[in-house]
Amino acid sequence: MECPVQSRDNADLLLAYCARKLDPETAAVLERHMEHCAPCRAFGEAQKAVWTALDTWEAMPVTEDFDRRLHVRIAQEENRGYWSRLVRPWLPLNFRPALSLAAASVVVLVAFLVQSPQSAPQPAEVEIVDAEQVERVLDDLEMLRQVNLVPKVEAPAVQAM
Amino acid sequence: MVAAAALEPDAELMLRVKDGDAASFALLLERHRIPVIHFVYRMVLNQAVAEELAQEVFLRVYRARLSYEPTAKFTTWLFRIAMHLALNCLRDGRVERSQESLDLETQDTAARQVPDRRPTVEQNLVGQVKLAEVRRAIEALPAKQRAAVLMHKYQEMEYSQIARVLNCSESAVKSLLFRAYETLRARLAHLA
Repeated sequence: MECPVQSRDNADLLLAYCARKLDPETAAVLERHMEHCAPCRAFGEAQKAVWTALDTWEAMPVTEDFDRRLHVRIAQEENRGYWSRLVRPWLPLNFRPALSLAAASVVVLVAFLVQSPQSAPQPAEVEIVDAEQVERVLDDLEMLRQVNLVPKVEAPAVQAM
Repeated sequence: MVAAAALEPDAELMLRVKDGDAASFALLLERHRIPVIHFVYRMVLNQAVAEELAQEVFLRVYRARLSYEPTAKFTTWLFRIAMHLALNCLRDGRVERSQESLDLETQDTAARQVPDRRPTVEQNLVGQVKLAEVRRAIEALPAKQRAAVLMHKYQEMEYSQIARVLNCSESAVKSLLFRAYETLRARLAHLA
């Protein structure tokens, strides 16, 4: 027999042997090999230790109302609408509360957009433009007035000469 | 009827569920409730999350009853659903948020074992330490290796069935198990 530790093809033989899943004939051949193969013996002993350690890990007992809770969920499922039953299997578990929140946010946003007047921000912008324009016009008028004053002042002086 | 006679009992039950037989679903639940919960529990290491996920597994089985076809072994299908939900849960980190209860669960388990085996306080403490080491060693495995070990060790599944659950080849399963047990031997061999 080719050594299971050294051969990739036979590597699972030792695992199967330690899991007691090997047929009696192959197990006997492997045991004969292990008698004079130290690496296989060490592997087998370590694997058996793992197997025993894993045996000590008992799972928790199931809560008594597991079935009742499941049947309640099935009943809720049955009573749920067609659309919800169609969409629900495609949604991951942790996404479902987020989806409800997102749906609520969309409703609030739509309600806000519907109620608020669309031209509301525009008057403020117009007012600013108007004020600037008025200010600029006033400046221009002041400048024109000053320009216009000069000839009026100079004209009499020329006439006097 | 000839085809139905060749079916495995679970697949037959599932076909009856498909026809609207609620009692057959109850039977399936009775048969597979504990293996599924224990598998998911050992995957996510949290009792409350494990039960929630196991409920989702059976709910999905019930939902899929109308489209069910016995193309594979029933338990392959069942554990495939369970594994996917457990892997998604681990990926989303939902278990980490409730990890504080882990130590309490260990103590509870030990407390429950007292009347049966009547260990001394010292034996009890040693047992707790060993159990914690086993859990840590399993938890340290990559999720797919962990699933393979749990199905191999606790569900006693053949390589071919584990391969179908994990959707990979048998040689990939052997490789996964070999690497996983190698890690476990390094961490747990001293417990012998």
